[in-house]
Amino acid sequence: MGEHELSPVRGPESSPRSSVSRRRFLGRSALLAGAVAFGDGILDVARRTAAADGPGTPQPPPLEEKRTVRISNWPLYIDAKTVQEFEVATGFKAVYTEDVNDNNEFFAKIDEPLKRGQSIDRDLIVLTDWMAGRLIKLGYTQPIDAAKFPNKANLVEALRGVGFDPGRVHSVPWVSGMTGLGYNPKRLGRELTSVNDIFAPELKGKVTMLTEMRDTIGLVLLGEGADPAKCTLAEAKAAAAKIKKYREAGHFRGFTGNDYAADLAAGNIAVAFAWSGDVQGLTKDNPDLRWVAPKEGAMLYSDNMLIPKTSDRGDLAAAFMNYVYEPAHAAQIIAAAPYLSPVKGVDAELAKLDAGLAKSPLVNPPAEVRARLHVFRWLEDAEDKELNKAFQDAIGA
Amino acid sequence: MAGIAAGGSRRSALAPYLLLAPGILYLLAFYLVPALSLARTALSPETGPWYGGLQHALSDYGMHLVRSFQYALTATVLAALLGYPLAYAMAFRAGRLKNLLLGLVMLPFFTTFLVRTLAWKTLLADEGLIVRALGALHLLPVEGRLLNTVWGVLGGLTYNFLPFMILPIYVSLEKIDRRHLEAAQDLYGAPASVFRKVVLPLSLPGLLAGSLLTFIPAAGDFVNAELLGTPNQKMLGSVIYGQFLTVRDYPLAASLSLLLMFFILLLVLAYTRALGTEDLA
Repeated sequence: MGEHELSPVRGPESSPRSSVSRRRFLGRSALLAGAVAFGDGILDVARRTAAADGPGTPQPPPLEEKRTVRISNWPLYIDAKTVQEFEVATGFKAVYTEDVNDNNEFFAKIDEPLKRGQSIDRDLIVLTDWMAGRLIKLGYTQPIDAAKFPNKANLVEALRGVGFDPGRVHSVPWVSGMTGLGYNPKRLGRELTSVNDIFAPELKGKVTMLTEMRDTIGLVLLGEGADPAKCTLAEAKAAAAKIKKYREAGHFRGFTGNDYAADLAAGNIAVAFAWSGDVQGLTKDNPDLRWVAPKEGAMLYSDNMLIPKTSDRGDLAAAFMNYVYEPAHAAQIIAAAPYLSPVKGVDAELAKLDAGLAKSPLVNPPAEVRARLHVFRWLEDAEDKELNKAFQDAIGA
Repeated sequence: MAGIAAGGSRRSALAPYLLLAPGILYLLAFYLVPALSLARTALSPETGPWYGGLQHALSDYGMHLVRSFQYALTATVLAALLGYPLAYAMAFRAGRLKNLLLGLVMLPFFTTFLVRTLAWKTLLADEGLIVRALGALHLLPVEGRLLNTVWGVLGGLTYNFLPFMILPIYVSLEKIDRRHLEAAQDLYGAPASVFRKVVLPLSLPGLLAGSLLTFIPAAGDFVNAELLGTPNQKMLGSVIYGQFLTVRDYPLAASLSLLLMFFILLLVLAYTRALGTEDLA
């Protein structure tokens, strides 16, 4: 946790292959392999250092230390320039670390220190809705200073009133993503429309689901005709039981983080539960790949920026939020990490950067797709524990 | 004079302890203390008897435990079958190539374990060369693929731990006094019986050490099963990883770790008792 100085600031363009990466331990290892295979350097600390003293920046007096905001985010969730440009624009220093690979794993790291009120050496962290909700409920976060964050007005209406943080006092979304089916229609020889296609007998051994419980259980529930936003615990556990039955019969190739992406591109997997942004990234090298929101519906999640309660630099974190909520800056991020932006006015800015991407249904889903997006319902701690246990058992973890 | 002599001998009596101290302190701090804390986590359940957690772990994940040992044992046997002839050739037949071959055996260590295993994913890919060649020869297993099957996992385990088998065997073969071989030949020993009665027994310590160095890490490994298998090939190491980091059921994870340690210890003791350890050094 303390080694953030060694961590990379890097954008997806540094390796075309790795622009698909997002989640989990295995994801990081695939990334490592990708980087080694392509021979490009992962670490690019020098670039950041150079930018901090870049031309045009007034040099501060040598004895006065620059104030630094320390950020933890998921891998490949940002472009290469935003952090430097933030430093130039604000005069603050930013250390941006891509060390969030899994909500549960990250929580395991920060839980103890935050419980004891100790610093986690981070001023801004990005976690998925349900985990953001848990942190807020545990009192691990501090409110965002609205005076330092005028661009909060740019937050889209749909994401303003979330159950876990009414009024968005403690959190604002970084980006949102959709979970649906990823596949290659050419290789498969047909189009997929239903979640339940993943259970087709001829696909035995050629499919994967995600280790992210709410995404996988949510999609299976949709296939069963249930609504993940309102499901009972019994329904969710029945979905887990269905997964377990198929897993035991050898139907699944595996349960993955973002590492399904490489296997999907290589043809080892025919159909995967997949994140929209990942597949959008993959299509650069594999134009045949496709992501679809199944007719029964797809899952929608957001990853949210939070300020840990033990941070003494909440003002800097708010300044960073304010910076990335400027539509032009948000568009620059989306151009590299093609997810759904929570910032109003980003479409026009994105069209200037990448007209094709701005029209992509993955970045800008049509209304009929938006109508089919579901958010997994809030689970109380006891429910979460019980369902997680059933789910881990189902996926054979 | 007597005083100085006594002082000198006292110093030399202390010397072994002083030499041992850094290692002992290190192990105390970074092995024994965590191991005890692990045992305490495993053996102090909130309710029920002290062994409740172990019982629960064994009934839920006994299959993973058995599978871990099956895979580790198979990988060890495969590594011995592949490694022994290679070590033999290196020690007795390689001539000037010896150092080159030794270097080649160690070469994989210059790449990290994880990346080597990921490379296997590429090698075994469904549309890769190996699978297509085997498919053409009708040699593929029932799954019709190698990646994410038991064969993939066993192959990965064997490959990753093979050098740990080869090197100790090589060292023990290399150490054999060549005059023993000449003596055996002079006594009209046929090559096969020279091998069976002289070379093999003298190389047993290496084989034993190699087996332990392969079996123990293979039994606790989770990378191969995770990357080259499906959830149905999951080994205990994966379960422990998931329980510690994802489910965060620390008592269960600690119980599983303790069980793994206990059974490895048991098997290793039985093994060394059967083959004898006095020659290991």
